[in-house]
Amino acid sequence: MKRDIKMEAFYPYPPERVWRAVADGKAMAKWLMPNDFEPKLGHKFQFRTKPAPGFDGIVHCEVLELQEPRLLRISWRGGPIDTVLKFLLEPVQGGTKLSLEHTGFTGVKGLMISYMMSSGWKKMFRTSLPAVIKNIDRLDELPQDLKSCDPETV
Amino acid sequence: MNQITKTSRQADIDAFTAIAHPARRQILDLLAVGESSVQNLAEPFEMSRPAVSQHLRVLLDVGLVEVRRSGREQRYRLRAERLEAVYDWVAHYTRFWEEKLDNLGKYLEENE
Repeated sequence: MKRDIKMEAFYPYPPERVWRAVADGKAMAKWLMPNDFEPKLGHKFQFRTKPAPGFDGIVHCEVLELQEPRLLRISWRGGPIDTVLKFLLEPVQGGTKLSLEHTGFTGVKGLMISYMMSSGWKKMFRTSLPAVIKNIDRLDELPQDLKSCDPETV
Repeated sequence: MNQITKTSRQADIDAFTAIAHPARRQILDLLAVGESSVQNLAEPFEMSRPAVSQHLRVLLDVGLVEVRRSGREQRYRLRAERLEAVYDWVAHYTRFWEEKLDNLGKYLEENE
């Protein structure tokens, strides 16, 4: 099963203009989620959305790479996931190609298990665990993944 | 997009919604211990049997629970394997980004 998300979108505007929407906190609040983003390398910030099962609605981020008007890379930790998000802007005929990459989902199901196990769903997992384990593609990587799971987000 | 994909996507959304409700999570918790009748399920709740039945209906619709007849009774059972859809954060985020990239397009258009 595919563990990364890769998407492309085309917008009929120059990269500079798309960049102002992609790397701006107020703009991101409109099209993505409310946040306290600042376009500074190493800046730590949060996105806030409505909570879902297994997710308190807060995404913890850090600006990892910033190359105006081309590249924005941030860490993306929310619920049990610890991932990296990348926006790449390239000028193309008539506008901008935006490539989005959301990577690092490997072992997410393992984290999900540990997350749910710690939150009162123990009984359910005693019975459903076998079904879940069947689908974890890389079980041997689990201990490492579990270590990197920030207890504060769990 | 073919019909099968569409159907399963719809089901994924519903599974999230289904377990978002605390009463339905409690019902699932109870069913995780073993199959049960509506009567037994309603007992620990301060809820009428029809209300519990309604929650069960939602869980049945998304396939998290199945029902079988045992004599005069309907017995409800957890289908734990259906919860996989809920764990699948990749699928969740794929839908999420599709929607957000569309939003970005609209934002760019509106803020010309």
